[in-house]
Amino acid sequence: MLNIDLYINSAGIISGAGNNMSGNFLQDTTDYSAFALAAVEPDYKAYIPVMQLRRMSKAVRMGVVASKVAMQQAGMETPDAISVGTAYGCLQDTESFLGKMIEQDEQMLTPTAFIQSTHNTVSGQIALLAGCNGHNLTYVHRGHSFEHALINAKLHMQQHPGSNILIGAIEEQTPNSVKALQYAGAVAKENYTPSDVLGGKLTNPVCGEGAAFFSLTEQPLNQQSLKIAALDIFKATADKAFEKIENFAAQAGPFDLFVSGSNGEKKDYALYQSIAAEIVPGVPVTTFKQLCGEYPVASSFVLGMLWHRIYPGIQGKYKNVLLVNNHCDYYSCWTLELW
Amino acid sequence: MSKAYVVNTGIITAIGNDTAACLQSLLEGKTGVGKAEILKTHWQDELPVAEVKLTNEQLAQKTGVSADWPRTALLSAVAVHEAWMPYKEKASGLRTGFFSANTVGGMDLTENVYKDFVDDAHSVQLKKIINHECGAITEIVAEHFGISDFVTTISTACSSSANSIMMAAQMIEAGMLDVAIAGGADSMSRFTLNGFNTLMILDRQPCQPFDNNRRGLNLGEGAGYVLLMSEKALQQCGAKGICTVSGYANANDAYHQTASSPDGIGNKLAMGNALKKAGLQPSDINYINLHGTGTANNDSSEGKAVQDIFAASVPMASSTKAYTGHTLGAAGGVEAVFSTLSIRDGIVYPNMRWQTQMEDINWQVVTELKTGQDIRHVLSNSFGFGGNCSSLIFSAC
Repeated sequence: MLNIDLYINSAGIISGAGNNMSGNFLQDTTDYSAFALAAVEPDYKAYIPVMQLRRMSKAVRMGVVASKVAMQQAGMETPDAISVGTAYGCLQDTESFLGKMIEQDEQMLTPTAFIQSTHNTVSGQIALLAGCNGHNLTYVHRGHSFEHALINAKLHMQQHPGSNILIGAIEEQTPNSVKALQYAGAVAKENYTPSDVLGGKLTNPVCGEGAAFFSLTEQPLNQQSLKIAALDIFKATADKAFEKIENFAAQAGPFDLFVSGSNGEKKDYALYQSIAAEIVPGVPVTTFKQLCGEYPVASSFVLGMLWHRIYPGIQGKYKNVLLVNNHCDYYSCWTLELW
Repeated sequence: MSKAYVVNTGIITAIGNDTAACLQSLLEGKTGVGKAEILKTHWQDELPVAEVKLTNEQLAQKTGVSADWPRTALLSAVAVHEAWMPYKEKASGLRTGFFSANTVGGMDLTENVYKDFVDDAHSVQLKKIINHECGAITEIVAEHFGISDFVTTISTACSSSANSIMMAAQMIEAGMLDVAIAGGADSMSRFTLNGFNTLMILDRQPCQPFDNNRRGLNLGEGAGYVLLMSEKALQQCGAKGICTVSGYANANDAYHQTASSPDGIGNKLAMGNALKKAGLQPSDINYINLHGTGTANNDSSEGKAVQDIFAASVPMASSTKAYTGHTLGAAGGVEAVFSTLSIRDGIVYPNMRWQTQMEDINWQVVTELKTGQDIRHVLSNSFGFGGNCSSLIFSAC
């Protein structure tokens, strides 16, 4: 278990369940019948000049605008450091360059898509637009990409106290990436509804995408600030995960809210059920993947949702939250303090 | 708080399949740059590369892994094997991390099946695409060597593996881990070669870093890792540190997605902050292993930044990319190995193929092999796309 003891003070969120740029984030009932949820993108023109926007892939524009909103809300002109997670990186530009390279037999190619295909494109663009010369890292480690970006921010904060660090995550889907994930048996081939996801009987989850960015400091900057108290990450199969989660909860409890990362898959649903029944019995449970779908950095979405004090399916005021997420056996356990 | 000690190295590049072979080539002035033989590309005869002259099957045999792995993972496994195996048993029970970096992931396999995949996914074997992600490369190597306490992948273009060494050192210093294998790997792919070719920064001849008439870079491939230990781990393993990671810094140029600012703002910040972290003055540095890619832009910006930081007394400095090519995500790891050997053996590598002094800088690179030197502190630079600039400092124990 890692003591994080840092606060997120703002959030810029774009997801399949909407974005928090238009004012009614997660207020309407989510309804879909789909195997993949495309991000509901905001009107970017309010944030980026049209000429620049035209050159940006979905990953870049989602990341740039989510980060701008997070910076604006926190009154952060230039972050002291930028730490980003993305498992797949900039797929659209990668495929664009790859497709042309094959089609044109490696000849007469133009550089734009290649330039924007590198995994650090988003963090680089944010630094460029914000004039940020600070520490800048991009983590690409599957279902722990965002968590590693947070650990990096913690390490940076230890050596640079008082920093206001921009942390965040992006993931974009393309028709071919969804096809590849379906082929690998990682996401659904059939259409499902939110209640199917909540039912916990799926073989594969609904695929999601999105971006979420936050201001991260040692002291809360406002009333809404949310404290990330502790984090534990591990890779395990569902049968081995329970004990690790139990140990984590024993060190960090008691909790008055359990946020379950269940994506509706049968094999994980049972684990989340037993956490609720045995580790945090009687504690209210809420879920989020029926809203945003499953993707490697979905833990960034739920952090934003909790920063907004939104608890799907339940109501109330909560202080000590246990969040457990899992993406393809990459687990993260979080303790969060709300006030 | 323990320092992070470099105990061992592991490397494979076009100039050698292990540390001893790479060192021998550096001492003998043997380049790895030449015609592509393993990579099949339209540019075979036009663009020289620094290729590891082993097939995927030959690489796989070296560590007993599957030849179906992406080439980047195969290269990574060879170098990790060298760095880690002598200590694996001794380090039993210690918290061990694997910090790797790459930019290309499994693209070398994906690019051969992408078109078929788009037409009909099921016509392509799943094993050809299953390890496409950068993170998958690290994961299959970590699993092979049984490392699980902390495993991460960083991708910040050409500075990637300098950053993985930086994070590993931080986690050892913070007491979060006892042992870390840190660096990176990247294989050649048509995707990368063509990408750099569209940027018109590839040299059609063997590259000449820091030469006034330089024409660009040669792409290379390989893997480089340092084995880092805390004091506690040194004791348990009966190991001795060769040097420490005494300084590190990461900064962003915030100037252009693929070009460095003319004055090397990010470069200066990275070098300056690394010196600050190490508690050293510029005059304490004995050798700079330059990023020195051979492009007009990099060498000019880096050269001016070095001039600004070190003023009238620039230490011995050279780029080793004329030997290894630019190994991208592996470069910081490869050059961390060379920096370690510089301290261990008291040597400074010549900046191969240098002929003409650059007009825009007032200092000179080292052009002949120096031996018998007392090298106490080495600065290693890694700069990349996205404005990412990182500097590491290695100091004799």
